[in-house]
Amino acid sequence: MTQPTPIASLAGVTKIYGAGETQVNALEDADLSVYPGEILLIEGPSGSGKTTLISILGLLLRPTRGDVFIRGQRVTGLPQRELPPIRAGTFGFIFQGFNLFPALTAEENVAIAIKMKDPKARNADAEARRLLVAVGLENRMHHKPADLSGGQKQRVAIARALGGNPPIIIGDEPTAALDTKTALGVMALLRDLASVQGRAVVVVTHDPRLERFADRVARVEDGRVVAVHTIDHVDRQGDVPVPAPGIHPSARHVARVDPPTAA
Amino acid sequence: MSRSWRRSDPARRVLLATIVWTLARKILLHDRIKFTVAAAGVSISVMLVLVQIGLYLGFMQNASNLIDHATADVWVTGEGSENFDFSAPIDDRSYYKVASTPGVAHAERMLLAFGQFRLADGGTQGVQVVGIERGGRLLRPWNVVAGDPTRIHEPGAIMVDVSEAEKLKVDRVGERREIFGARAEIVGLTRGIRSFTTSPFVWTDLDSARAYALYPADRFNYVMVSAGPGVDPDTLARRLSALPGLDAYTGPTMSARARHYWSSRTGVGAGFFTTAALGVIVGLVVVGQILYNGTLEHLKEYGTLKAMGARDGAIMRVIVYQALISAVVGMVLGGALALAAKAAMAGANLNVLLTRDLVLATAVLTAVMCCLASLLSVVKVLRLDPASVFKG
Repeated sequence: MTQPTPIASLAGVTKIYGAGETQVNALEDADLSVYPGEILLIEGPSGSGKTTLISILGLLLRPTRGDVFIRGQRVTGLPQRELPPIRAGTFGFIFQGFNLFPALTAEENVAIAIKMKDPKARNADAEARRLLVAVGLENRMHHKPADLSGGQKQRVAIARALGGNPPIIIGDEPTAALDTKTALGVMALLRDLASVQGRAVVVVTHDPRLERFADRVARVEDGRVVAVHTIDHVDRQGDVPVPAPGIHPSARHVARVDPPTAA
Repeated sequence: MSRSWRRSDPARRVLLATIVWTLARKILLHDRIKFTVAAAGVSISVMLVLVQIGLYLGFMQNASNLIDHATADVWVTGEGSENFDFSAPIDDRSYYKVASTPGVAHAERMLLAFGQFRLADGGTQGVQVVGIERGGRLLRPWNVVAGDPTRIHEPGAIMVDVSEAEKLKVDRVGERREIFGARAEIVGLTRGIRSFTTSPFVWTDLDSARAYALYPADRFNYVMVSAGPGVDPDTLARRLSALPGLDAYTGPTMSARARHYWSSRTGVGAGFFTTAALGVIVGLVVVGQILYNGTLEHLKEYGTLKAMGARDGAIMRVIVYQALISAVVGMVLGGALALAAKAAMAGANLNVLLTRDLVLATAVLTAVMCCLASLLSVVKVLRLDPASVFKG
């Protein structure tokens, strides 16, 4: 088995806020790689540095020390103005609070994100509709967020994150505001995005029930990545109780990349 | 990857503007109540600016009404006269000196002084008597709507404005009154010739005017001058000013002096402009507050777009376009309100002068006001850390 190539990685990343007596080491010497086709859970107690870690991984925050690599290219030293287009082409984000524009319909929320990423994007509206169909919202395209359930809103947010076809989806507690059944449905959808479409999905969570969907779990404590372990593939077989709506069943046989080794 | 890192091209900018416009419009119109409040704020602001400045321009138009409708190149008056309506008297010797000055092609005497108009009920009303010379051609009553203006040089003949009919308690040609005890018969009516002083103009012959204003037979207070062919009015005015006891100004300068006196010496201008400025402040505060609240409400969404790669400029334009939409809607509604106010005030004989320049200037001012109002929101969005989307 060949060693897979990470699509994004952190090398010796440290993030320090403040100085002197008020200095806080939010992240210390973190190494972490993200591979195509995997779900990587980031777990840890509140204030442990999880959010800082995904913020740096998603190029939203500059590390104090260390490097960030995207597709093997070091991006840490790039000027700030060059980062938005890299983020646009690399990452989709989903959040606990969905962050949808209440004035826009589901279709418009997805389409506007695609267009803002790339104003010259062809058929952005059709692409938005296609993504909403893919997440099982073909009957809710023209509904505004106020008319959608929590799970449906998160599916819109996932469709929006998929706009522009980013290879990495970063989720910050994407299931925290959802009931158990809906949360598992959303995770099943993310599982399919990884398994079927080969995207890397990085999810920050406090919920250990989500491990059944993951390939690896990184444990963060006191600003350090203290452990990264691989979930036994066999253990997870048949343990995904909620099917992901919208992903066509025939697409599920698409081969995934080989299970990665821990970074 | 490097291709997507390139800066935007013109076509991209146009497409982005369309996208941003759509987003701005939908966000702004989503909360109809807030948008209505913002539009009402701008509308009131626009209306206040238009009506106040329009009233000011209307009053100022009245202040220089006679000068602006005269065809004189140069106005000559007594030395040291600052106010067109209260000018020092001069005599016939001054007139002959002016008329014989090189460069003067034609000169006419004019008297502008106050008199007391006896009303039908026995009361009195102060009037401004405008005395013009028989055969004069530099200043005549205009907008004559009734009567025979050629009769104005008959002894005791006067013309008044229909807008002052209620004040003078007259309603038709042929009515007879007295001014300072001298007989006066209305031989014609004009429309829209109003004084700044609120004392109605009474047009009459120069000789009758002297009787009405209690002026001696050789006195008057203006000489209107036509410059000869090729003679520069400014040069001629300087030449005439050199005559003893006289000041001379070109027509435009005289007009500006008349307006400036009332505007600056009486505080009239400050009053109108202060109210107009308050209107702008009201608009700034209302629009600024609405936009800022709206920005705060959508901060997470804007942050999400930034996180996903939207540039600061694009997000900033969403805010500015919302401000401009408010400006356009407010300008249209405020303009309509100003027109309604103009019509209502016309009934009270108040002239709201809405000139093209005033409307254009107000439109620009409104756009600038709304953009300024969006500044706080723009700064908020520009300072928005995309990583903040992960906080809470």
